[in-house]
Amino acid sequence: MQRGFYRMRLNCCTDIKFFSSSTPLAPIPLPSPKETHLWYVIPNEVKGESLLNKYMEILPPCEKEHVSSMRGDELRKSALLARTLVRTTIARYQINSSIQPRSLKFRKSIHGKPEVDWQHCDHCEPPPLHFNISHTSSLIACGVTINSPIGIDVEAKQRPVKHNVLTLARRYFTEHELHVLTAIKDPHLQHQEFIKLWTLKEAYVKALGGGFSGAPFKTFTVRFGSAIGESPHLSRNSNTEASEISVDMFDDPSDLTSNWQFMLLELAGSHYAAICTEKDVTSEGNKNGPMKLTVWKTIPFVEDKCVSGTEAVRVLCGFR
Amino acid sequence: MAARIALLKYLRVEARPAQLRNPRLIGGSFSQLFRRQFSDEVRGSFLDKDEVRDRVINVVKNFQKVDPSKVVPNAHFQNDLGLDSLDTVEIVMALEEEFVFEIPDNEADKIHSINLAVDFIASHPQAK
Repeated sequence: MQRGFYRMRLNCCTDIKFFSSSTPLAPIPLPSPKETHLWYVIPNEVKGESLLNKYMEILPPCEKEHVSSMRGDELRKSALLARTLVRTTIARYQINSSIQPRSLKFRKSIHGKPEVDWQHCDHCEPPPLHFNISHTSSLIACGVTINSPIGIDVEAKQRPVKHNVLTLARRYFTEHELHVLTAIKDPHLQHQEFIKLWTLKEAYVKALGGGFSGAPFKTFTVRFGSAIGESPHLSRNSNTEASEISVDMFDDPSDLTSNWQFMLLELAGSHYAAICTEKDVTSEGNKNGPMKLTVWKTIPFVEDKCVSGTEAVRVLCGFR
Repeated sequence: MAARIALLKYLRVEARPAQLRNPRLIGGSFSQLFRRQFSDEVRGSFLDKDEVRDRVINVVKNFQKVDPSKVVPNAHFQNDLGLDSLDTVEIVMALEEEFVFEIPDNEADKIHSINLAVDFIASHPQAK
């Protein structure tokens, strides 16, 4: 264990020298309990063999092997960027000075959800940092919270769906959700709403951490607004009740599902992103206070841009 | 009657020198046939695994997002074919349509690769 630590330290020193020739990761403070951070990278904007090689260098051998085992350049790049995004994002929070992207260790929870393994962290309290990642071929995102489990899902708005969306909804969604989709006559709009619902349900399942079978889609309903009978479309006006998203379990409407809050965004004009976190009930003041979201677009070691409040991030639904 | 004659013609083994030179050929196919009929009677209607594999590969190859050249028996949906959760769900639905039986969500969750799909389908008598 001791030797391993020294070896790791040596690697960190080498890495620091290596990184000094590129833009270092800008350190940022951890999110507050009511805050969510979202980092995303667009694979098409990451170019150059030398940059990709730099990313490979921060992966441990087992992850390097996994990336290399993917078949096809695009898949390999996507896998590499996903690991790079997770490692560089978490390392920014400067838990302590020995945390470098390469030194982070990960494990899976009992339900198989990836989490940081802080065991190797010498003399420090493991921070209650949670993260979740989602990728499509055109955008990879990583969400970070403190204290609260988080699930995120991103999908391209225009992603093709092989089956008729109502067939999919009939098979996988609840009756209420199917009803909402069926009521939408315009096929383009119906497709969009299907994708939105899908990302929200996926984000919820990922936040729970049990995988698809842990919370089968048919066992919970995602609803927009708190009143029955409101417009089936997502309201763009976030000041009205209709902008709230809630979830209830099919079997037990009274259960802890009221603990979960959602946000639905349009990212970079091209993707829907759903974020699901647990409501913060520990801090004083308004229990249901708005969840604050900060979004960065990044090309690790090259450029970080805070895009909250710009056209790149449009909150469609949920707390601002 | 005609069917019986046709079946017998199919089953009849011709004792020609060429075939005798390679008795395993005849013996193999005959015993396969025998085994299938026998297993049909005893075990219900489990599909032959090779047949299942061919049909599963076909379904996956026809999936628009997939590069057919990457579709090999041990292909992993996410790692090798680049499919995400919605794609996997669509593939499972396409498999349900192909084999005419419903795959429960908790089982579908475990089908991450072609081989897993083949194993699952081949072990379920409801699959057609």
